[in-house]
Amino acid sequence: MHIIGVYNIKGGVGKTATAVNLAYLAARQGYRTLIWDLDPQAAATFYFRIQPKVKGSKNKLIAGKVDLDKVVKATDFENLDMLPADFSYRNMDLRLEVAKKPTKQLLSLLRPLSHSYDYVFLDCPPSISLVSENIFRAAEGLLLPMIPTTLSLRTYKQLLDFLEGHRITGLEIMPFFSMVDRRKRMHLDVMESLQASSGELLKAQIPYASDVEKMGIHRMPVEAFAPRSFAASAYQALWMDVQERLR
Amino acid sequence: MALNAISYLLPEGLDLGGLKKILAESNHFSEDAPVTVKQTYYDSFDWRIWQAGGELVHGLDQPNQLCWMDRKKFSVVVCQGVDSTPGFADDIPDGPLADRLTAVLAMRVLLPKVNIIQKKHTLRILDSEEKTVVRVVLEKNRYTAVRGKQKGELEGRVVLKPLKGYEDQFFKFKQQLAALKLRPAEQSLYEDALVGIGQKPGDYSSKLNYRLDPDAPADATARQIMIGLLNTLEANISGTKANLDSEFLHDLRVATRRTRSAMSQIKGVFDPQQLEPFKQGFGWIGKVTGETRDLDVYLLHYPDFRAGLPKVIQDDLDPFHTFLQQHHKKAQAELVKKINSPHFRKTLKAWRSWLQSSPTKSGHAPNASRATAQLADQRISKLYKRVLKNGLAIGPDSPAEQLHDLRKQCKKLRYLMEFFQSLYPKPAIREPIKALKIILDNLGEFQDLEVQAQSLEDFGDQMLKEGAPASSLMAMGILVGQLLEKQVQAREAFVELFAGFSNESNRQAFRKLFGGA
Repeated sequence: MHIIGVYNIKGGVGKTATAVNLAYLAARQGYRTLIWDLDPQAAATFYFRIQPKVKGSKNKLIAGKVDLDKVVKATDFENLDMLPADFSYRNMDLRLEVAKKPTKQLLSLLRPLSHSYDYVFLDCPPSISLVSENIFRAAEGLLLPMIPTTLSLRTYKQLLDFLEGHRITGLEIMPFFSMVDRRKRMHLDVMESLQASSGELLKAQIPYASDVEKMGIHRMPVEAFAPRSFAASAYQALWMDVQERLR
Repeated sequence: MALNAISYLLPEGLDLGGLKKILAESNHFSEDAPVTVKQTYYDSFDWRIWQAGGELVHGLDQPNQLCWMDRKKFSVVVCQGVDSTPGFADDIPDGPLADRLTAVLAMRVLLPKVNIIQKKHTLRILDSEEKTVVRVVLEKNRYTAVRGKQKGELEGRVVLKPLKGYEDQFFKFKQQLAALKLRPAEQSLYEDALVGIGQKPGDYSSKLNYRLDPDAPADATARQIMIGLLNTLEANISGTKANLDSEFLHDLRVATRRTRSAMSQIKGVFDPQQLEPFKQGFGWIGKVTGETRDLDVYLLHYPDFRAGLPKVIQDDLDPFHTFLQQHHKKAQAELVKKINSPHFRKTLKAWRSWLQSSPTKSGHAPNASRATAQLADQRISKLYKRVLKNGLAIGPDSPAEQLHDLRKQCKKLRYLMEFFQSLYPKPAIREPIKALKIILDNLGEFQDLEVQAQSLEDFGDQMLKEGAPASSLMAMGILVGQLLEKQVQAREAFVELFAGFSNESNRQAFRKLFGGA
């Protein structure tokens, strides 16, 4: 089971769209795939038309008293299941704090699912918190969508510092550019400067495209309603890069 | 607990179109465009997947997907993508399905059994968020034979597929279908298609499984046994000729050996003069099939041979593998010639017509009309006594020949017990057969290792003449040493194993079943 987190300290960078589209592509390849919407805003859950509610998530989930398998919902797509978001996730940090081994809770919750799924995608809430630390410790790879601006670069460095400071090693960091607008000079400049300096950067880029925004209208992955679009092929390229990196 | 899909058949007077109309009245659903897929079901010649409770289908939902289904629950157990048509388990990319197939199939190859052309039309039942909560697949199915022209329509099916987390909706829909008098299919689509092409799963097995009449005259019973063996032999001819896998030839040879054993051990039921040409004919079949089988055995053992050597010299053994493959190719071509020869065909044809002809009274067949059960008791107990006597006479210094002879006698005894096993209570006869098998395995190992070590030396001589590198011959030398060492161990184990076999409780069990001794 490969666990892949999709994360950024900043919100609104295309995280959820990435998790949803890549999970869909993995499932379509025949991999048994699970997407866990950890963000109380529940955008991924909305995209799959699932009710943002998890029985027992308030008190029992972090205490390990909920069998994750029992709260999983099938999406409309073969091989793709979802652990929906719940509003109570906004307080997950508080619950983690009082748990035993607070930084490894997520991993132990996911462990029983390891025979049921080939890929697990974690759609993470923005911010750096105990929840994110849990994700870093559970995941094998961390996808970092970044809008090519100077501010994004700063938050990227903040993250690297955090990982180093907390001795989180063995996590494959996979930054890539998201919401790229090639008409903007600054986007092009920032991409150029980072491409030269960072070997971790994935080659694929996700454009700023209306098809991605339309996911909210169609409530499904781009590939499912606009398979021949530029955005769809960008996600395919990204998924190929990710598989290559995790091989 | 995960729910399984349910496959339904339609009641009289309702077709798929009619059902769709009725469902549209009380459900909100969307329809996927109908798709047509071709599925091919695979199994080994001897139905190992089926015997293990499975069905193996290629192209279930996606063209390159190979899926193991539970044949009782009609549910998918595990799927895996494959690049080519399924063949040997070893050729399937690593994964949980490959592991399962390796364990079940061993050296047997997968063969296509039947095709199903499926036109499926999926209705997705939606909730208020337009989320799919149940899938209903309307299936029109046709079957086509893999070889030959048989084809036909199968009854339409409605498959109700649950979605995880939406169990309540699934149960509600199930009730709806039940109210419309749809009935769950009792057999899978695969079984339906096999019926269509006139095949029965499990219709071939190399195991002996006769149902004999204890009071029938012994000559009729002997014919019954021999016809069964002839059927097995003939069933394996085309697979042997095509060399689909090594087991075809193996089963053909076992049937030959059992036939010869039946001829000599079910004594006095036929006129020996009439039997003589057939004895010779089957002796010839045994002889001409031997070389290919020997090479098959070395090729099957090869991975173990190689793995048994120290890592640094494992590659040195590779020329031996090439040598085996080349010689196997030659031997196989020779074998096909022999099987295609008039002599081979005539032998089997004459044997069948002789077995099917009405027995002629002959003064030279004193046991012909004796009751089967009586003759079976007598032959088995007599042979058992001989095995006991000769086995107990073997000490640490006895020559190898004595063990080889004992092996032959044990084999004959085993075949007799297997031929006649239906005459005895089932659990009771299994024990002595099992006890004998332990001895036979030990004796087989002792002799095979010796033969293998000897053959390896002969192969080495030949390879030297063909210009093989010295390193290969040295690796083979190490192998010979290992084989002989194991042979010594088998020899040392014999006395103790035979003491177990001949202990008083086993003797009593034999006496109770077969009398005498």
